[in-house]
Amino acid sequence: MIRSGVKKRGIIFLILLAGFSLSLFLSLFYGLEAPFESLIAVLKSVFGIANNAYGYNTDTGVILALIRIPAVIKAIVAGSCLALAGMFLQTISKNPLADPYLTGLSSGAGLGIVISILLFSGVNYSIFGFLGALLSAVVVITLSGFSKFSITKLILIGLSLNLFTSSIISFLILLNPDKAYSMTLILTGGFSSADVSNRVLLLLFIGLLFICGLFIPKLNILRLDTRLVFQNEHTANKYSIIFVILAAFLTSLAVYSAGILGFAGIICPLLVRLLLGGDTRVLFFGNILAGSSLILFSNFISNNLIYPVQIPLGITVAIIGAPFFVFFLLKKGGALLK
Amino acid sequence: MIKIENLNFKFDGDIIFKNANIEIPKGKITVILGANGAGKSTLLKIITKNLKSDCAVQNTFKNMFYLPQNPYYPSGITVFDYLSFTFFKNGWKWFLNDSEKEKVYNVLEMLEMLDKKDLNLENLSAGEFQKANIGLGLLSSAELFLLDEPASNMDLINEIKVFDTLRKLLYDGVTSVLIMHDINLAANFGDYFIGIKKPYGGFLKDNGKNTDGAVIQAEKDKFFTKENLREIYGIDFEILKTNGKFYIQIVN
Repeated sequence: MIRSGVKKRGIIFLILLAGFSLSLFLSLFYGLEAPFESLIAVLKSVFGIANNAYGYNTDTGVILALIRIPAVIKAIVAGSCLALAGMFLQTISKNPLADPYLTGLSSGAGLGIVISILLFSGVNYSIFGFLGALLSAVVVITLSGFSKFSITKLILIGLSLNLFTSSIISFLILLNPDKAYSMTLILTGGFSSADVSNRVLLLLFIGLLFICGLFIPKLNILRLDTRLVFQNEHTANKYSIIFVILAAFLTSLAVYSAGILGFAGIICPLLVRLLLGGDTRVLFFGNILAGSSLILFSNFISNNLIYPVQIPLGITVAIIGAPFFVFFLLKKGGALLK
Repeated sequence: MIKIENLNFKFDGDIIFKNANIEIPKGKITVILGANGAGKSTLLKIITKNLKSDCAVQNTFKNMFYLPQNPYYPSGITVFDYLSFTFFKNGWKWFLNDSEKEKVYNVLEMLEMLDKKDLNLENLSAGEFQKANIGLGLLSSAELFLLDEPASNMDLINEIKVFDTLRKLLYDGVTSVLIMHDINLAANFGDYFIGIKKPYGGFLKDNGKNTDGAVIQAEKDKFFTKENLREIYGIDFEILKTNGKFYIQIVN
């Protein structure tokens, strides 16, 4: 019995890996001439093995180095971060409806972006989104930590902050009708115009994954009645707070790389849990793969479906993700619906 | 040993404990008796610090294991995983080492649940789930077990097996404190008894007559008297003692 379980998981991991590879392949090479030689040349130049100029010599090289590879990195970072953040929050709240933006992060990020567009022109608004998200996380976690921490309190305070900040955003958009279109577009998410240093992004991402990896086994304890392991809830709450903070960082990083993408952070963890069971050590890798694949593939569709018009990424993610999720929910949602 | 001095505790103005001095001896099975709402679970929550009280709790036990009344029933976890997750508490490991796995297997064998190890928790009966919870306690290396109605969902045979396990654990230096409702079973298995009084007709108010803290505690022989049980439950009992065993019946 345990053998068949392990085998089934292995097959699902292979399918996830295949989906990831396919999305990666399409995102990098779709419609390019002689892509592989150029990729090798670009990679060589990135790692300083070859002459820097060589990789950029061809058109393909330029497209790869300046457009596709950065987009792929952002997609992988955003997808994995959102999926992991969603998994953390769903696990500690024991609630499948928890989502990375629940703690007020999305509207915090949105407010940061809107303010940056209104006050400065031609500025890197990703940074403001990142800061806005972090700041709102700090506010929500601090407020819910007063007197006695509880997940329910966190969710309700996050919800209140979300409503409050969204209203301010709507008000600001209303006051500035000339910039309304561009602001609405940015708030739907997407990273075509996000100006982000890939090296910094990758460094933050890998660092954060490492820290998450350290804590992942402890997330399994939080699936049980924690009083059985820690006697009282204070110790368990400490771990809950750590995971909320990690989720806030992950979400902020996703906002930094791809703007506000709703939905990915709620669908991916649920889908992966349906397919792979509840062990957080397994889900960790499953979510990284599934999250990256979803965002990579959605971005590919966004760019190519009605070329040359680019569909905002948030829209594509929801259109692809929702039917996919409902299909699996109806087919094998037993454990989740209980 | 646990020693609580001058325990005062109120719920919305209802006095649960007033100047109570409570002692839980080491190396014995202590049973807490009392009517519904008398404060049995509250006492365990004060000891485990799930509830705050201003009195000092002296505790010489190294680790505690607390089984609350209605533990959360997770789904999608196998019995083996359920027990093994407790080892992630300390350190940063991703996998159990061989000796830890062996400990899990030993506990499963002790609880006669080896054949159920790959079943998901939601496929267990309530009694089996409770056995798995006690398994968590056996793995916790705790010196004190605080069990809030551990046998509430078990059949008589499994109930007796659990009590036998607790009795065996005394030799390994594990002291148990139980909350129970069946007085006869309690009299059979317990060594030391704490009865929490709830005066007939309601809680003690500040001007109540009982000033001794509303707690009776004694060894088995001294505890099971008509007077004590009447003070605890507010009704009359008939107590028979033959061959050192107590048989307790309600008098109508």
